[in-house]
Amino acid sequence: MSSKEKKAGMISHVVRAGAIAMVVLLFIPGLNPARITKMIGDEASLLTSGFFYGTLTSGMGRAFTKGWINESSMILLFISCLICCLGVITAAVGACLTLGNLKCHRFANLLAMIGSGVAALSMTGVYIAYTQVAATSKPKKVEPVFPAGIYAVVIIALIVFAVALISNLVLPKASKEMKMKMESPYKLFLMLLPFLLLAFVFSYLPLWGWRYAFFDYKAGDTLSMSNFVGFKWFTYLFQNTATAKDIVMVLRNTLIMSGLGIATSWLPVAFAIFLNEIKNVKFRRVVQTLTTIPNFISWVLVYAVAFSIFSTDGFISSIMVNSGAWSQGVNMLMGNSNTWLKMLAWGLWKGLGWSAIIYIAAISGIDKGLYEAAKVDGAGRFQRMWHITVPSLIPTYCVLLLMSVANILSNGMDQYLVFKNATNASTITVLDLYVYNLGIVGGSIPLSTVVSMVKSIVSVILLFVANTISKVIRGESIV
Amino acid sequence: MKTAQEKLDERAERQYRRTHKEKFVLKPRDIVFSIFNYLFFILFTIACFFPFYYLFINTISDNSLVQKGLINFYPVGIHFDNYAALRSVNDLFQSFLVSISRTVIGTALMVLASAFVGYLVTKPEMWGRKIWYRLLVITMYFNAGMIPWYMNMSMLGLTNNYMAYIIPGIVAPYNIILVKTYIESIPQELEESAEIDGASYMTIFRKIIWPLCKPILATIAIFGAVGNWNSFQDSLILMQSSPNLFTLQHRLYIYLNQASNLSSLMSSSSNVNTSVIQSMLNGKVIKYTISMVTVLPILIVYPFMQRYFESGIMLGAVKG
Repeated sequence: MSSKEKKAGMISHVVRAGAIAMVVLLFIPGLNPARITKMIGDEASLLTSGFFYGTLTSGMGRAFTKGWINESSMILLFISCLICCLGVITAAVGACLTLGNLKCHRFANLLAMIGSGVAALSMTGVYIAYTQVAATSKPKKVEPVFPAGIYAVVIIALIVFAVALISNLVLPKASKEMKMKMESPYKLFLMLLPFLLLAFVFSYLPLWGWRYAFFDYKAGDTLSMSNFVGFKWFTYLFQNTATAKDIVMVLRNTLIMSGLGIATSWLPVAFAIFLNEIKNVKFRRVVQTLTTIPNFISWVLVYAVAFSIFSTDGFISSIMVNSGAWSQGVNMLMGNSNTWLKMLAWGLWKGLGWSAIIYIAAISGIDKGLYEAAKVDGAGRFQRMWHITVPSLIPTYCVLLLMSVANILSNGMDQYLVFKNATNASTITVLDLYVYNLGIVGGSIPLSTVVSMVKSIVSVILLFVANTISKVIRGESIV
Repeated sequence: MKTAQEKLDERAERQYRRTHKEKFVLKPRDIVFSIFNYLFFILFTIACFFPFYYLFINTISDNSLVQKGLINFYPVGIHFDNYAALRSVNDLFQSFLVSISRTVIGTALMVLASAFVGYLVTKPEMWGRKIWYRLLVITMYFNAGMIPWYMNMSMLGLTNNYMAYIIPGIVAPYNIILVKTYIESIPQELEESAEIDGASYMTIFRKIIWPLCKPILATIAIFGAVGNWNSFQDSLILMQSSPNLFTLQHRLYIYLNQASNLSSLMSSSSNVNTSVIQSMLNGKVIKYTISMVTVLPILIVYPFMQRYFESGIMLGAVKG
């Protein structure tokens, strides 16, 4: 590699950094150049504006019909944003390809120049749309604002353009017969990159949403330092008597339901052991097949099943009424008694057969010689079960038990949401359902973010503790 | 399926029983135990299966008898008009399409991505392989919480948007680990000889890895499909103002919670026998029928796929 290529390689770091900055910019609503009026939601990023015309113009129907905004300017804005997004993507692809050999590098710089140039030029369209909107007849309703995002896009795009141009001037010309190539470490990385980005966007980016816990936010507001409230919501949670009461109730429900789950976690082991005692293979097959079906239906369907059996005109009521035992049907799904046990029962109905499979497989892996030896020594059926089968299942059981301890706060929401009704809310609301009710239904985003956040942190700590315990005791980690 | 070893074992045991007959005289407490054991499993199995049977016979029996609660153990007056009448239930077909399409598209993309990423992360020469792989795996063990997730999706424009069903599911870390572990168990020589022959990564993936990984890919495909079909939360939380994007599960949830008279659900311009619709509307039959339509794909697929389901849980024992 010549010294010129090394120099160009150094310069290309700037191109890559600039391209990353442009891609990040696509996702930041605060720097959205398309937000030329306050009628455009502050949740919309440049990417949204460029790909979803409906989101961009949602809530503008009145402005269009009354003639405050000409729809053509919004279409111009949308197309400019789309072109800008495509330009940024082209520039990003170019930046990725700068990792290749000389020919590839030169081509990559060209791509980066085209992409960033297009992105910068597309901002003129946004600017024209802005001037059109600014000339509205109803400035008070439309509230045109000059988007600072335009500067951000133009400046970064021009830097990328200039640096890519310099890089190409520095690089020597590639010979005609040279082929575009890239070394395999980079090639493999670039193939993985799109998937890494997806994982980042859907798994790491939500952590950025934790900032809502520190702001006084209502749906539709903007986050700015003026409504920064520090730890207000954290203290509010405990100082406000109503929410503090709710939290205590919800934690009680959560811990009791998880506790019942843990207390009955030996049932699948027993199920497997006793099923193994049945020598009729066909019978065992049928039992295994039919008892695992409920695991594969959703909680909504479990509720549908519960409805068909236990509701006012369901199976049990029909039989009782038609036999004259009851004067009228009873809806056994209503009512606040024994909610925890009922939920446990549904959990077992759904999961018992399935959870047993792992133990059934473990039993079939036990050395048959052990049983034979025990038989010769005069051990009876129950002694064999207790002294051979049970001990060989303990390691598997311990791992699963530790996992369920780590998940003590996360018992999911679906089951409790579908079985919830007007009468049992106080005993069925678990943490996840509470967060849903508070944030999605009730719209208190900051408060529910606080609860979500504390729950996530505690869960990670619990998992860590469980893992450490497992390492100390068994010398093996569980995650 | 019985392995040869199991067959041999059974034969040996029979032989052993014949020669040691006196040792296997059943004691009374063994008999009592066996009776209770069989009884428990029979009852539990019935409890697991009967509700589906009950739903089914109620949807194909005479609607007036169903209404009186007289169909409990066997169907009477079998007809399939209820299923035909579902065509005129508003929005149901739309939800069915949403559920089917997301199951097919979402699962296909997830399997492709898992296979490809699983293959890529087995390549030691990749730049920063360990870091990237760890970053992927860690995402299984934490999540930011429901509300930050919701705010993130709405920031990305994925609320009230069909893509919200597809895109977030493409990268599935657990499945990636499964595929990676599986590929590592394949003899290295196959890949190496292809590399020597000058095959590119894509060619190796297409011609060697993909065909060899089919068993594991079938397993993750089935789990993915069931998960997609059953998913309810994303529809509930993300599609609040787009009823035309509700999944079938969400639709069923809404219908189950509605008052008993569902006549408002029917579109007036239907060519189905109106008496059937009337007898269906006035109560539980329509709810049962919709439930049955929602559960049927799982029940139909289940017997054929059982061995994949069972191998799936055993794979849970492996680690990344």
